[in-house]
Amino acid sequence: MRRRWAATALAGTPAVIIPITWWFWAGDLPDPIATHWNATGAADRFSATPRFAALLVAITVAAVITAIVMVARTPRGQRHGYATGVTLATAGAVTGSAAGMWVATATAALANPADTRLGWRILFFLGGLAWGLVPRWAAGPATPSAAEIPSGVDPLDLGPSERAAYATSLRAPLLTGLPAAGGAVALLLALTGQRPMWLLVAVVAVVLVLFGRLRLTVDRRGLRLVAGLLGVPLKVVALSKIAAVEVMEINPAAWGGWGYRILPGSSAMVLRRGPGLVLHLHGGRRFAVTVDRPEIPAALLSALVQRVGA
Amino acid sequence: MLFRVDVAATEPLADQIAAQVRGALMRGELSPGERLPAARELADLLDVNLHTVLRAYGRLRDEELIELRRGRGAVIRGDADAARLRLVELARHFVREAHRQGLGEDEMVAIMREAWT
Repeated sequence: MRRRWAATALAGTPAVIIPITWWFWAGDLPDPIATHWNATGAADRFSATPRFAALLVAITVAAVITAIVMVARTPRGQRHGYATGVTLATAGAVTGSAAGMWVATATAALANPADTRLGWRILFFLGGLAWGLVPRWAAGPATPSAAEIPSGVDPLDLGPSERAAYATSLRAPLLTGLPAAGGAVALLLALTGQRPMWLLVAVVAVVLVLFGRLRLTVDRRGLRLVAGLLGVPLKVVALSKIAAVEVMEINPAAWGGWGYRILPGSSAMVLRRGPGLVLHLHGGRRFAVTVDRPEIPAALLSALVQRVGA
Repeated sequence: MLFRVDVAATEPLADQIAAQVRGALMRGELSPGERLPAARELADLLDVNLHTVLRAYGRLRDEELIELRRGRGAVIRGDADAARLRLVELARHFVREAHRQGLGEDEMVAIMREAWT
């Protein structure tokens, strides 16, 4: 918790630069001030100086408030989610770049009020943008570290001469219902004379063929998630990469939403809220897929992983 | 669904695969309309011969549990009856045990009659 508030403070730090420098520079700054430059480097747009400074301050304040709200909502003692990390990074980048923009334009105007040129001072802006990485780093990782890997599920009792495999089709209204409904509407519009709609119908048809059916399989090689009639592999995880297997209630918000989600530290195929299979990979990455009765593939995977390890 | 076969067992692999499908049906893990893996896919998953899987699926079709359609794979029949299947499995056990004891068909039927009354 303390780390997150420290990160929030770091994200807000650049914001103080604008009021402080305003104190020193206000008397010398031209009004209006050059705020936009054309391709040759000459100023081509100007703003009222106090208004320009106030706008930048307002932006930094909004970014800091957003970060504070996000951090305050994270329960004490719990690891913060991916969204909080992104918010902190964004807040840092926004305040940093606003302050950088201010310093760049103000110092450029002070250097030559008559023919203000930005030139190398753009680096102030870029440096401010990069400031976003600082609070993100200070907040610490959002994904569980290797120490938090769960004990896993009871492995399937598999004899040495036994071969086992699991295969299932993943069904979800999201997968077929939405595109089909969209396709039906587009088809209706196309038939009533909206010719461009035929293109949408074609796109929906292609999507349904490619992704209308998902197959999840587990066998001696590992886990495979394959899409559609053409069998496009979406995810292949070798047994040797799996550290632990877990059965979990999948909350789409915690995995970045519905569909195939890729986040730093994890990826997931989320088709609905509810039970799912979570793989903890060596190196700390996670992969989740929503599936009915995930205990069955989880027990099989555990047994197969043990067998490979033995 | 989960398939498991024991390559060291005396029971032929095709019989084992068919038994897995029957078992899943009886336990309610498979329901009518559900699709089994394509024969080629299952052979690949279990690392067994394609013909072994085709033999298992053929048997399940003969037992009127699944429908085999070209290009659509194997689908559990709508009238696949889990309750009746359970009885058939019990009868199979009975017959196997009777064979082991050296009983003929007439003797088996006689025992069934005895149980009936």
